Amino acid sequence: MKVDHSQPLEYSTEQNRLNILGFWIFLGAEIMLFGTLFTCYFTLVNRTSDGPIGAEIFEITPVLMETFLLLTSSFVIGLGIHAMRLGNKKAMQAFFILTLLLGIGFLAFEITEFITYYEEGATLQTSAFTSILFTTLGTHGAHVSLGLFWGLFIILQVRKRGITPVTANKSFIFSLYWHFLDVVWIFIFTFIYMKGLTQL
Amino acid sequence: MKELFPAKQVGGFVFSLILTGVALLVYYFNMSRAVGLTILTLTAFIQAAVQLVVFMHAREIEDSKSVFTTIYYAIIIALVTIFGTLLCMIWGWNY
Repeated sequence: MKVDHSQPLEYSTEQNRLNILGFWIFLGAEIMLFGTLFTCYFTLVNRTSDGPIGAEIFEITPVLMETFLLLTSSFVIGLGIHAMRLGNKKAMQAFFILTLLLGIGFLAFEITEFITYYEEGATLQTSAFTSILFTTLGTHGAHVSLGLFWGLFIILQVRKRGITPVTANKSFIFSLYWHFLDVVWIFIFTFIYMKGLTQL
Repeated sequence: MKELFPAKQVGGFVFSLILTGVALLVYYFNMSRAVGLTILTLTAFIQAAVQLVVFMHAREIEDSKSVFTTIYYAIIIALVTIFGTLLCMIWGWNY
């Protein structure tokens, strides 16, 4: 394995660089996955049948909390990668753990929100609007849930093996995934919640 | 301790918070549909760009061109799908 010391560890081998590029291509496909969900959302948003419209069930406070938690977690994992580049394993681990805790906080709010919707009579079967709403939010939530496990395994691996070209590469790729989830959330926040609440 | 908080990333975070705040203006003030949607679209795309460049280091990788080609391609296809669908399903097309 040829290690290029002029680069950060996560880019230091040919395989590492290819892994990162490959993950970017995967993220391109993820953009399209959420693109189709948004397509259906925009198409069905007014097909509310006898059910509620967005403005009737959305609440600004939990949405802002979710936005803040996910945005902060995205920032914190960025700090984790920075600490990794400095070779500071302790700080990196702390930042990664904090990232996952913020992710758990996000999910807690989202689950509470879903329960509230359910109690207000908006279920997956209520209308075309609620179907696509739960599908879009749920797909994002499922990605976050998966990320929690992925992140946990990364933390355990770094703890066991230290910061090596291999673990640094895996950690960096996980950080790309986590930032991407925040990017998707920005669009959910903007075009589902803000647009829905203001009925624009 | 200070070295753990690089100015660029702290700046990116603060900027993201400000953009979220700007998007919230649409919620707290009455705006026309055109103005509101313009603000929302701009803040969303700028925030997404901040994430890609500041936090995901999209410009640092040596295959940076391939990364941006992939992302632009995906965004274009997604936008064509969204607006193409809206055109034929919602807005209507009169012959």
